[in-house]
Amino acid sequence: MEKAADFHYNAEQNYDEETIIQQREIEKEIAGCQDLVGPKEDFTTLDREFEHDVAFLKKIQDVKQRYRRFRRIRADGNCFFRAFGFAYFESLLKNPDEFKRFQDIALKSKDELITLGFPQFTLEDFHETFMQELNKIETNKSIEGVLQTFNDCGTSDYIVVYLRLIVSGFLQKNEDFYQSFLDGGRTMREFCNQEVEPMGRESDHIHIIALSQATGICVQVDYMDRGDGNLISHVFPEDSSPSIYLLYKPGHYDILYKE
Amino acid sequence: MERRLRKELTNLIKDPPDGIVVDPDKISQNITEWTVDVKGAEGTLYQGEKFTLQFKFGSKYPFDSPQVMFVGKHVPEHPHIYSNGHICLSILSDDWSPALSVQSICLSILSMLSSCSEKKRPPDDMFYVRTASKNPKRTQWLFHDDTV
Repeated sequence: MEKAADFHYNAEQNYDEETIIQQREIEKEIAGCQDLVGPKEDFTTLDREFEHDVAFLKKIQDVKQRYRRFRRIRADGNCFFRAFGFAYFESLLKNPDEFKRFQDIALKSKDELITLGFPQFTLEDFHETFMQELNKIETNKSIEGVLQTFNDCGTSDYIVVYLRLIVSGFLQKNEDFYQSFLDGGRTMREFCNQEVEPMGRESDHIHIIALSQATGICVQVDYMDRGDGNLISHVFPEDSSPSIYLLYKPGHYDILYKE
Repeated sequence: MERRLRKELTNLIKDPPDGIVVDPDKISQNITEWTVDVKGAEGTLYQGEKFTLQFKFGSKYPFDSPQVMFVGKHVPEHPHIYSNGHICLSILSDDWSPALSVQSICLSILSMLSSCSEKKRPPDDMFYVRTASKNPKRTQWLFHDDTV
């Protein structure tokens, strides 16, 4: 690449290829230095990350008061789904009743999604892998197993895809209610095709609400943003008791632990 | 990647949608490169015409979209298809989802042909064909018209 100072735009030249190569290099750099799901750690590295950023100092103090540890998730646009999936699978290790409840929902979800018009062939492929990894929790009962599942790129992404499809299915099924959350005059179908189903597309409130509603899993998100005041928490769905906790930093989600 | 592609191939051979023809002998040598024949639907501008689509699958398929373009002498004349065979279709880049498949791509392209009301090339065809990379995935597409 030319240096910015020497750069002169040439209308007769096509820059797309260079731009795309550079994007791939950035992705590779991120993938090279960060696990898909990192180890449980204390907040030392979080302190360091924001030590010169006054707006976040108060919020970090709040985080430390409420939580003991956290786990970093790779920043690849799938972090919400990966964080949610991992934290929930991990919570199932100690909760066999909840495992049974969710196993049943997950089993039934396949036919529901096919009824909604998802292509049976690809859907079955993702569902099969999802169930296979979910069922490992019952037989293996080890955190190492869950870490292995979520750090194997192919398997981890299969789980992310299936969670994305669950969200898409839920939003399309409840289109009448959720349509009013969309801006830009898009139909729910268009929104799902563009912002939910493709990999790497970031998640917003609407994705979180849909996933927690569709699965019956309650999640609390603590928002570390630049606003004044204390750390703000949202529980999805409202008024229930969270089984997993996520930390939001602008554009990114990690997992939080009370213990 | 291979497992999914073999499943897709078996499925397409067993139950091909109207207007789509796959020759398994041509594919069996190399599972990551397919050619699929597409026939213009009856009662459309492309009735009686036959085209060939080339699919190339990278190691990240189905998380990453395949590279898809028309090959051979006959490239359909269409406002979203360049004369070098490149296709401007959002599911082939930005809006690709792993839940899509070779079959859903073929059906989208057929439907794009069927809904066309005037055979013409994209307005920037000459410029694009001169400067574009050989690989259509190396183009940053902008999508502004979904009426055809």
